[in-house]
Amino acid sequence: MMKEIDARGLACPEPVVLTKKALDRHQEITVIVSEKVSEENVRRFAESMGCRVSLVRRDADVYLTITRPAHSDTAAQPDRPDVSCRPAAEPAQGPAAAVIASDIMGSGSDELGAILMKSFIHTLIDIDPRPDILIFLNNGVKLAVSGSEVLDDLEDLSGKGVDILVCGTCLGFFDIKDKLAVGRVSNMYEIAETMLKARKVIRI
Amino acid sequence: MSDEGYCVLLFDSVSSTLLAERTLKKKGISHKVIPVPRQISSDCGVCIRFRPELREEIVSTLKGAVEFRDICTL
Repeated sequence: MMKEIDARGLACPEPVVLTKKALDRHQEITVIVSEKVSEENVRRFAESMGCRVSLVRRDADVYLTITRPAHSDTAAQPDRPDVSCRPAAEPAQGPAAAVIASDIMGSGSDELGAILMKSFIHTLIDIDPRPDILIFLNNGVKLAVSGSEVLDDLEDLSGKGVDILVCGTCLGFFDIKDKLAVGRVSNMYEIAETMLKARKVIRI
Repeated sequence: MSDEGYCVLLFDSVSSTLLAERTLKKKGISHKVIPVPRQISSDCGVCIRFRPELREEIVSTLKGAVEFRDICTL
C-alpha cells in the first residue's frame, strides 16, 4: 500500500520534513496538505529531489502523489530541507502618501516646529523617491493657502506630479477656503480611501 | 537643483537662524528658510536662502543683531 502522509494543518516546515522522511523509505508516497504554502514547498522539494509529482485537489485539501526515481537517494540529503516558510511577498503597490496634519513638525517648540516643517517640505523637492500624494489636514491646510511660506515649494511639487489633497472641512473650519493656493479641495472619503490604498503612509 | 543661483546664510545654531528669520521678516526682506544643502557642511541643519542681489541689504540688516558664520552661493 502506498505510504500516505497527512500533513494538513501542520506548520511549516513540518510537511516538507515528513515528506522527506517518507521518501527516504518509500518509492511512492501521497502527501495531503491544506495550505497553499505547504503545497508549494512540498512540490518544490520533491521536484528538487528529481521526483515526479502529481496533484489532486479535493475540497480544500491537496493530495500530492510523489514518485521517487529508483536511482535517487533522498536519505543522503539533510533531514531538514531548506524551506521558505513565508508565502512569497507580494510586491508593494500603490502610491506613497504623506499626511501633514499640522503646520509644524514635531512637538516641543512651535517656532522650531515651523522651521522643521518648512525644511521638510523644501526637501521633498529634491529627494528620491518623493511621496506621490500629500494630504493636508487640520492646521496643516494653512500650509497650502496664500501667504504660506511653503507655497512655492508646494507649487513646485505639484508641477512635478505630486498630488496635493487639502481637507475641505478643515479649510471651512478656519474660514480660508477662498485662500487655497495649491492643490485641490478633498473630502474625507477621498482622504480615507487614499490612505487605505497607499503602499505607505507617512504621518508628519 | 532648485536652489541654484541663490545664496545661503549659514549659522552656528538653529536659534541664530530663527533670530535672523525674525529680523528679516520684520524688515520685509525676501528670504526662505531651507535645510542646509547636502554639499555644505554645517552644525546647524537649516539656513536662510536669498537672491544674490539682496546680499548687501541682508548683511547690513543682520549686522549687530545676529551673527552668521558664512554666506555661500549655490
